[in-house]
Amino acid sequence: MAGDIGNHPIGWRRQLGRRLSWLAGASTLEILRSEGLIPDVGNSVPRVGLTGPPGAGKSTLGGRLAVLRSQRMRMGLLAIDPSSPVSGGAILGDRIRMDELDGIDRLYVRSLASRTSEDGLAPNISELLVAMEQAGFEEVMLETVGVGQVEHAVRHQVDTMVLVLVPGAGDYVQAMKAGMMEMADIFVINKADMPGAPQIASEIRSVLRVTSPRRDGWEPAIVMTQMRDQATVAELSETIDRHQAWIRGRNDVSQRRLQRQRYRLRSLMDRWVQESMSEVPKTFFDFAIQRQMRELIERMGAGLLPDSD
Amino acid sequence: MVITANETKAPSTDYPLRGLRILVAKPGLDGHDIGAKVIALAMRDAGAEVIYTGLRKSAQHIARVAIDEGVDAVGLSILSGSHCELVAQVIDCLARAQAPDVKVFVGGTIPVPDHEPLRQLGVRGIYTSDMSLDRVIRDLAQQLH
Repeated sequence: MAGDIGNHPIGWRRQLGRRLSWLAGASTLEILRSEGLIPDVGNSVPRVGLTGPPGAGKSTLGGRLAVLRSQRMRMGLLAIDPSSPVSGGAILGDRIRMDELDGIDRLYVRSLASRTSEDGLAPNISELLVAMEQAGFEEVMLETVGVGQVEHAVRHQVDTMVLVLVPGAGDYVQAMKAGMMEMADIFVINKADMPGAPQIASEIRSVLRVTSPRRDGWEPAIVMTQMRDQATVAELSETIDRHQAWIRGRNDVSQRRLQRQRYRLRSLMDRWVQESMSEVPKTFFDFAIQRQMRELIERMGAGLLPDSD
Repeated sequence: MVITANETKAPSTDYPLRGLRILVAKPGLDGHDIGAKVIALAMRDAGAEVIYTGLRKSAQHIARVAIDEGVDAVGLSILSGSHCELVAQVIDCLARAQAPDVKVFVGGTIPVPDHEPLRQLGVRGIYTSDMSLDRVIRDLAQQLH
C-alpha cells in the first residue's frame, strides 16, 4: 500500500506512531525513566517552527511548504492543536487541510494536543522532537497552537522561526512589538492577495527599523505568500534555506543547546509540580503558604529519589 | 484544572475517554458528515483526542492516518449503504499496515441484518442514530479501556 516514506517500511511508521503516542502522554517519571532521549542540538536536524494567530493559514501553508521540501529530503511535521481545558479532549484538525494536498503521502504528519502545556507547545515536546530526529527525518517542522503572546517557547525549540500573519491583523502587530517581533527569523504575510497585505509588510518593516538590531546579526526576512501562487511558497522555502545556511556558518551551537536544555528542565519541573500537587490532600491547602511550599518541595524530591541515577 | 499524564490514562467517570486517541473517518462517497462531527465533539467532551479526516477518504488513506497518529481506535461514519465493503477494506488495510490491534467502530445507517456480518469482520461497536450520545460514549469507554 502507499505508506512508505523514503526507505522506511510501513512497520516503521506504525512503530513511530505508537512511540509518539506514548511520549505525548508520558508522565514526568516515565520520561525520566526512558532512555536515549537526551536532546542534543549538536546532532539535531534542522527544525523549522511555524507560528502565528489562529486563522493565519499555518496548516495549509505548512503543508504546502513541507510537501515542497519533501522533494529533496524526508520531512516530518508536528502540528499542535489546543486541548479543551474542561474535558482535556481535543479536536485535532490541522491535518484535514494538509491531507487534501497532492504529494502529502511523502510526509509524516503527526497531530499533537497542547494538553496541560501553557506555552503554545505540548507536554514532552523536547522528547517528541528528539524522537522525530531519531526516526531519521532530515528536517522537522513544528506548527504551534497559535495563541499569540506565549510562543517565545517555540523560539528555543527550533532553528528557524517563521511567523505567519494575515492582512487585517494590524492590531496584532501592535500587540507583538514587545515580544514576537524580535524572535521571528522570517515574517510571512499570508493571503497576500487580500487588501491590506502591503500595509502589514510596511508596518513590520518600520517596527524592525526602530527595533535595535538583533544580537545574532540576522536581518529578518519578509515573504508574501498566497496559496494560489506556488512560486510564493517556493520563495518562502528558499528563504528558510538561506537562514539555515546562515545558521550553519555561525558558531552558536552551545548557546542553542543550553537554551533547549533549560527549556527541557523547566517544562519537566512545571509538570512535576502539577503532578505532585494533584496528589496532596485537600487539607494541605489550609497550611500556611510557606509550609505548603516546603512540604510540596519535599514531596517532589521524595517522589524523584527512587528513579534518579 | 490540572490534567496529569497519569490521570489521562485512568478512566474517569466525568471524562470516560480521557487519554484515548480516536480517528473519525468518512470512507466512501457519501457527503454527509454532521453525524461524524457530532460524535467527534462528544468524544472530545468525554476527554478524547479526536482526529477527523474529512470527507471521501480511501481505506488506504484512513489506515495510514490511523498508524501515523498512533490512535487507539478508528470510528467509521458511513451513510452510503456500502458499509460492509468499506469496513472490510479498512480492516484489511489496518492489518496490512501491521495495526490489527486498532479497534474499529462503525456509525451511520446500518440495517440490523448487517450488524452480525460487521461484527464477524472485527467491528467492536455499531452505533445508529437511534442511540443516545451518552450511550455511545459509555460503550466506547467500555470497549477501549
